[in-house]
Amino acid sequence: MIQAKPVMRVKNISKKFGNFTALYGVSMEVHSGEVHALLGDNGAGKSTLIKIISGVYQATSGEIQIDGNPVHFNSPRDASVVGIGTVYQDLALNHLTSVTRNFFLGREMSVGWEPFGLLKMKEMDAITVQEMAKIGIDIADPGQNVGTMSGGQKQTLAIARAIYFGAKVLILDEPTSALGQKQQMEVLKTIKRVKNLGNIAIILITHNEIHARLTADRYTFLSLGEVIGRGTSKDLEGDEIKRLMAGGAEIGDLAAELAF
Amino acid sequence: MSDQTDPLPAETPEENQSSSPASVSSEKRTETDRLVKKNWFFALFQNPEVGPFGVMILLLLALGFFSIPESVDSYNPFAGAGFNALGIRNNTRLIAQLGIIALGAGLLIIAGEFDLSIGSMVGFSGMCMAIIMKWGFHISVPIISNTAEGYGLDWVRIISITQVDPWMALGITLCFTLFFGWLIGYIVVKTGMASFIVSLSFLFFLRGLTEVCFRAFNKPPDQTSGSTQVSGLPDAKNMVELPGYGEIERAKVAVLPQDVIHKIYNSLSPEEVEGFSQRVSFSNASVAEFKSVMLHQKTLETLNRDIGFAQESGNTKLLETLHERVAENAEIVLISPNPVREVDVVKEYVETLSSLNPTADLLGGNILEGLFNWFYEIGWNVNNYGKQFAPGLYSSVLVWGVLAFLAYIVLSKTQAGNWIYSTGGDLNAAKANGVPTNKVKISLFIFSAFCATIFAATQVFETNTSDAAKGNLKELEAIAAAVIGGIVLTGGFGTVLGIVLGAVIFGIAREAFFYIPYVDGSFYRVFLGFILLTAALTNENIRKRLTGGL
Repeated sequence: MIQAKPVMRVKNISKKFGNFTALYGVSMEVHSGEVHALLGDNGAGKSTLIKIISGVYQATSGEIQIDGNPVHFNSPRDASVVGIGTVYQDLALNHLTSVTRNFFLGREMSVGWEPFGLLKMKEMDAITVQEMAKIGIDIADPGQNVGTMSGGQKQTLAIARAIYFGAKVLILDEPTSALGQKQQMEVLKTIKRVKNLGNIAIILITHNEIHARLTADRYTFLSLGEVIGRGTSKDLEGDEIKRLMAGGAEIGDLAAELAF
Repeated sequence: MSDQTDPLPAETPEENQSSSPASVSSEKRTETDRLVKKNWFFALFQNPEVGPFGVMILLLLALGFFSIPESVDSYNPFAGAGFNALGIRNNTRLIAQLGIIALGAGLLIIAGEFDLSIGSMVGFSGMCMAIIMKWGFHISVPIISNTAEGYGLDWVRIISITQVDPWMALGITLCFTLFFGWLIGYIVVKTGMASFIVSLSFLFFLRGLTEVCFRAFNKPPDQTSGSTQVSGLPDAKNMVELPGYGEIERAKVAVLPQDVIHKIYNSLSPEEVEGFSQRVSFSNASVAEFKSVMLHQKTLETLNRDIGFAQESGNTKLLETLHERVAENAEIVLISPNPVREVDVVKEYVETLSSLNPTADLLGGNILEGLFNWFYEIGWNVNNYGKQFAPGLYSSVLVWGVLAFLAYIVLSKTQAGNWIYSTGGDLNAAKANGVPTNKVKISLFIFSAFCATIFAATQVFETNTSDAAKGNLKELEAIAAAVIGGIVLTGGFGTVLGIVLGAVIFGIAREAFFYIPYVDGSFYRVFLGFILLTAALTNENIRKRLTGGL
């Protein structure tokens, strides 16, 4: 299942904001059908890295390759054109309108003179139900308001939308934070289903070690803007992950210190 | 992780919980089951328009009931002044005019912005149109001139149109007002300031500009200061091309010289003359009948009064004579109707000629004239003198209907509608999904200005006057109508049908309260304030229910 050729390769990315170095020589590889966990403490540079990958920021130096070809993004739109879909924490959903209207928001199917073309509501409803079902959520009524959905369902909607609109690399920014336990499990299941589709690479950003271990195939640990560890799930033992997530500090020492 | 169907490892604390999480594959209760299944009755009452619709029905019944005169013993709501032909004509006009600006205000609020400049925009566009039609349209540029007395400023006209047609006046006015609409929108999206304060500035700016322009331009060249109103514009919507005479206002046909009338009469075909004569003789007969009845009633009233006096004074001889007179007058004596004159036929003929200014006619004329003529023939659309009561409905009703239909299609059925809802519902989400939110907002500010201009145009072409105070407070009425119709002020929520109902409620409330006995007419404002507050609370509750308490 793990392919030799990565779908996306990040090489030696550095990013400076004035004289502050947010990222220094960061590299990572992302493979289709895999979940790549990007872990690190607050301020480690995770957000900066995914913003560069999704085209919000431009790197000071370094290169991003998609299928072996170097790409350059000036805007999030450029990134989405080559197949990088980002699901941010706020999910970019309008809670006051229906599931279908959110699924196709900004990319509506219509006949006639844009933007006054008539919406193909039936077709869009069918696609929405079908795409949501693919990753495991059966919505009874695509006309239901998003505001009445559970947190997990909303996350699924945002993921299904990104996939439908051509995401080869799906970036999930802390998808399980701010959710209850059951909802978290629902999202993790969704992530596994997307992984099992086989043609999509997932970059998962999380603070939850358990969630990472449940889903991830590969890890990259960031601390203070640098990669401090990487490996596959087989290479890394439990305590090692915990240690690297905390930025390399000995968690045992920390525990001893706190326990006095 | 080679086995793709492997379930999640079982040692996780989450999985140890008794019930499995919401999942489609399990046969247990899923998340979707928590949505209440809708039956049609429940669904109907979930509609946000149900409340406004109920209030509207109540108000219509109140108007119908209270407008029945006390002397008439009837419960038919169409018996009174509220729903006679003229009542309907006037009420629908009031509603339509408010409805037009409520559409602009309402769509903008759905997109999350405010426009307080609507009222001033109405005043400004009315001024613009009237002055341009009265005095022409000129663009002057200043140049520095060098004369014997030294250097000075001279104004040179580069464009000068002295005879401005209504459509041209409307077009030029739209250039100004749509620009101002765009400017308000541009300032709001570029600076990120609250639209409340930006449009409030334009409320003052435009009202001031209106008065300044009136004083500066609404005057002959030799006068120093112009008047703040324009009156006596030619009745553009009633201008017709009369064959054998030329351009003329319909009302002025009656005073044409006899020989001109005769010439026109002779130019009509016998069938035409026959048709018009029928209408005239029907009208004359109706007038004669009403006159006979009224005369009869009057005679009897006088006689009965005199009988009373005679009884008081004990004059038995007079009493006898009077009783005889009453017996003589027991039957109505029909007055013979006026003969059909040539001028009457020509007047009927002129009514059938189409207006020379379709723009003015479309905005300020009448619609459904044929239907109202038929109402007259079946005896409903008749005033106290036996003449036709209302010629038709005001055209503004049609304009409102068309605009509302288009707004409904755009908001509910098109891509643009989804953009409007998302711009107001969650601006960041809309932006993140590539919705051009700035364009959406600016377009709706322009639409709001457009609606205000159309409102002003209907007023100007109906009355052929304009005034610096026109449209005062209309912006607040438009917003109130939209809110009564279910629009939430924070944006993203509401429908065009709601805005339409809001306008109807607002317009009918005033009329209904006017007719309620022992109640001051101004209580309609008290009532509207109460309704507005209730509507705002209800809207907020519905929104919370639909969004899960957000």
